[in-house]
Amino acid sequence: MRYIKLPSENFETFFNSLKEWGKVYGPVKKGSIYSFQEVDEVAELALDYTRTILPPKKFFVRPRDTMFRLKDGRWENGVEGEKFVLFGLHSCDIHGLKILDRVYLNEPVDPYYKARRDAALIVGISCMPDEYCFCKSLGTHFAMDGFDLFLHELPDGWLVRIGSVRGHEIAWENEELFEDVTDEDLKHFKEFEDRRANAFQKEIPQEGLADMLDLAYNSPVWKDYAEKCLACGNCNMVCPTCRCYEVCDRWVDAYSSVRERRYDSCFMESHGLVAGGHNFRPTRLDRFRHRYYCKSYFDPSAGFNCVGCGRCDEFCPAGIEHVKVLEEVRGSLR
Amino acid sequence: MMDKLKLGVFELTDCGGCALNLLFLYERLFDLLEFYEIEEFHMATSLSGEGHYDVALVTGTVSTRRDLDLLKEARNRSEYLIALGTCATHGSVQGSVELPIREKLKAVYGDESNPMHALDPKPVVEYVAVDFALPGCPYDKREAFQALIDIAKGIEPVKKDYPVCIECKLNEYECVLVKKGLPCLGPITLGGCNAVCVRSGLGCIGCRGPLPGEVNPASEYEILKSKGYDDEYIVRKFKTFARWEP
Repeated sequence: MRYIKLPSENFETFFNSLKEWGKVYGPVKKGSIYSFQEVDEVAELALDYTRTILPPKKFFVRPRDTMFRLKDGRWENGVEGEKFVLFGLHSCDIHGLKILDRVYLNEPVDPYYKARRDAALIVGISCMPDEYCFCKSLGTHFAMDGFDLFLHELPDGWLVRIGSVRGHEIAWENEELFEDVTDEDLKHFKEFEDRRANAFQKEIPQEGLADMLDLAYNSPVWKDYAEKCLACGNCNMVCPTCRCYEVCDRWVDAYSSVRERRYDSCFMESHGLVAGGHNFRPTRLDRFRHRYYCKSYFDPSAGFNCVGCGRCDEFCPAGIEHVKVLEEVRGSLR
Repeated sequence: MMDKLKLGVFELTDCGGCALNLLFLYERLFDLLEFYEIEEFHMATSLSGEGHYDVALVTGTVSTRRDLDLLKEARNRSEYLIALGTCATHGSVQGSVELPIREKLKAVYGDESNPMHALDPKPVVEYVAVDFALPGCPYDKREAFQALIDIAKGIEPVKKDYPVCIECKLNEYECVLVKKGLPCLGPITLGGCNAVCVRSGLGCIGCRGPLPGEVNPASEYEILKSKGYDDEYIVRKFKTFARWEP
């Protein structure tokens, strides 16, 4: 992997050069929260953000997404692939996209997702964990691929890792902005990573997690938490790896309509409902437990469907903590 | 071209907003008129149908004898009846006062006599079977539009099954319950309003009534309690719009 250095004084020029690729979206502060929004100037960016409410998934599978339009009795497909830049993704969110790729890019390929994925230039950025982060224990705290460029904070600029052919092209086109990486830069990079590694306050013990869940299906801990859980679906909405959607038709006027999909939540009672009226998960207990099995149990060979971003914890009205639930379930087996 | 469906709009006791809200569809009204003719709607026509309605929309609570007679009339003469707005589906604010009607009259007028034949205000769903219930104070006019076009095309309208939080997050609004400690009933209130109050930085007041099914008010109560709201406040908030469930 090629490493180059972007000195602080060139950051703004570099950022502006990305606009040639397409619209640039980055983290901005809105009240007490962060959100990926279109950004015109560097000053609008909140580069020290913790996590956005909605993960970058929203650019590929939109919260509300038009699939087809019915016009004059004919369906028009809504696939679009306008180029854009996602600037400032954290490593966990890059891993989140890789998990979505497995779902949406494997056969049958989702054409909406693919068109937008191909059109996106991804620029990662380093971060410091807060009290909700547990990516390190899941191995998602560092991205080796899944980005075009990745910026690591240095005292006097950014160490840039190049992760794709496109990333190389951008580096070549803007060669005058970059410098070679010195030993001192590498030292600073290592120091930052060490400091970061020691800053995590939470971890999920991965070892035997799937086996543990195998044995713990009837643990009373699930029941206790199902009493607390509001089944409001907030955790699903903000999760970078939740991938269920609901398809609905909406009338635009008397004779035209759109077929839309929107994020769905496995906490809704209709989520497990199938034809004939059978419901696979009729109670809140079933639905609460299901989320944990979906994230940490099904298909363990494919890795976990959780990247430790901490969104579900931060935005749970009932203050339910993902790691704590799993630890209590494990404890109930002892 | 098939015959147009006959539509009747009936207003029981309410603020008038839900009936008026239909007119606020503006140009979309003309889309409805492609399939419907309005046979009865005191805000929109001087016609007063005597016959049969394919679809009847009823707003308001049953609060007087006149309301009850009108409701029964609408039910008996219509194929498909929609309880429209929280008054009709859950009783709304006037339904939330828990006293027998005679005591209420006495408290307000100092006299128990009842010349208007007032009844204890109750939602439409307490008196007749409805084919569809669309809550909201007022309901979202786009939702009413979708339901009416669906029916015109022979599609059964789909009931919402998710809380306000879902649409709040789809719009990526700052969570006022978690981040500001506001008393937001979003997690236990039926969605469909597109989280319009949270958009303005306010907590959900529960105007669309409780989420049907396995809703968890007990946990919401504990959460509000932990944020410093007292018992009475929380209980009153819970009951503002919904003493009855459809």
